[in-house]
Amino acid sequence: MKNSKLLILITAMVFIFLIGPFIMIFLTSFSSDAIMRFPPKGFTMSWYAKALNIQMFRTTFWVSLQTGLLATATAMLLGVPVAYANIRFNYRGKGTLELLFSSPAIVPGMVIGFALLRFFVYVSNIPIVIGLYLGHTAILFPYTVRVVSASLRNFEGDIEQAAISLGSTPLHAFFAVVLPNIRSGLVAAFILAFITSFNNVPVSLFLTGPGVATLPIQMLSYMEYYYDPTISALSSIIIVLTVIVVQSAEKLLGISKYV
Amino acid sequence: MSLKPKTKALTMLLGAGCLFLLAYFLLPLLFVLYESFLGTDGNLTVSRYLAVLQDNQFQNVYLRTLKMAVIVTVIAVFTAYPTAYLMMKIKSSHKAILMSLVILPLMTSPVARTYAWIVILGRYGIVNQTLSLFGLTREPVRMLYTEGAIVVGLLQLFLPIMVLNLVSALENVPSEVEEAALSLGSSKIGTFFRVIVPLSFDGLIMGVTLVFTGCITAYVTPAILGGAKVLTLATLMRQQALVLMNWEAATVIAVVMILTTLILHTVLKRFRPRNQT
Repeated sequence: MKNSKLLILITAMVFIFLIGPFIMIFLTSFSSDAIMRFPPKGFTMSWYAKALNIQMFRTTFWVSLQTGLLATATAMLLGVPVAYANIRFNYRGKGTLELLFSSPAIVPGMVIGFALLRFFVYVSNIPIVIGLYLGHTAILFPYTVRVVSASLRNFEGDIEQAAISLGSTPLHAFFAVVLPNIRSGLVAAFILAFITSFNNVPVSLFLTGPGVATLPIQMLSYMEYYYDPTISALSSIIIVLTVIVVQSAEKLLGISKYV
Repeated sequence: MSLKPKTKALTMLLGAGCLFLLAYFLLPLLFVLYESFLGTDGNLTVSRYLAVLQDNQFQNVYLRTLKMAVIVTVIAVFTAYPTAYLMMKIKSSHKAILMSLVILPLMTSPVARTYAWIVILGRYGIVNQTLSLFGLTREPVRMLYTEGAIVVGLLQLFLPIMVLNLVSALENVPSEVEEAALSLGSSKIGTFFRVIVPLSFDGLIMGVTLVFTGCITAYVTPAILGGAKVLTLATLMRQQALVLMNWEAATVIAVVMILTTLILHTVLKRFRPRNQT
């Protein structure tokens, strides 16, 4: 059983490596030391109070939330029909279109943001926030197509056929039969896409500027100037929220099979 | 089970998505490509490319980015394979717990995850404190703002992706195949390399593609752990555009970044036995 011992050792190290940093953030977020030091000294909640009271974090949290919700909703509206068409129909040029629909996931996010900035903000003078929304929608699009396609593949098309042969129009059958049956896939797609948008930095990097920033961008620029546990506290809050959302989504929808 | 193709239905289903991507994704990208060939006099030229590609700093940064991506990918393969393999062997309830521990980092803000390494590798971080506790070092070792710090950060960022790809590839390897090889006299190690790895090769290449290209385009990790001291392609592009206001150079770097990613995707795809996604 020599092999298994080595296997267990490597696996244990991998998980310590993956999870350890989170524990580190939690520990330092309660430290009463203003410098990040290990082991942390004392206990205070004041970094949490500070993080929640910094106006820029509050403002950018709302920008991130709104951008995430709007971009996810748009990407779902665009992506669900595409996923449906690709699962149900065969047509000429399908391969090319599938490549187009997946390409925002291949092109680096930084370049997408950069291109939107150069083209829209400088050439057509549109507000930078619109660029932010468009950029996020573009990267979430392939995500929604992929997740919704996966759940459509598991859905038996027979019920839909039955509805149509019993006199339902295809459009009505889509709304009354298909959508309710892939509900959990739709919710999973929404949650995954929203989290992707909320955490995104590369696309937002060039589409934020004076007055407009997302929370991760704001955290990055705070870190350039301050070296205290405020970011630990803020990160802890975000991590706990993520754990709650992901774990409940996993329990209810089995989200891990869509990741 | 495909229905008869209906042009009208397809136009309705695909039209909005196509238009969106053409207008807000392809068009801006083509514009940047066009701009990268634009000279000061309005004619098309390759002078911007020559200026960037001949620049010593750019060459160093590009090679450094590739080098770090190779290191991270290799370490990820050698640690993720045993992990994914063990996850297939244990009870499914235990596997579910480990799966959620793999997915958790993937879903968490990269800024928060990378920030943790400042705490760990910093002057007064756990590594330096441990070293001095055992009397191994007299002064704190500078670990932040080094290539090593970026490699560690990138590895933590992308290891879950490699594990997930290998787990789903190994799920498709029937356990009977492995048992058959073992009962026919193959050693455990031999079975692993000659049976398991070839049968999960598709997932391996997929994982390598995602991790490698991810490392090359990652911004957050080199920005936090490398800063302006150790630039990578992504942080160099941002510096050129937003700090030095050298948009010409940034445009060229953007094109280089896309080309590198596309070439990697195409080359690695050739290694995949079945072209499925």
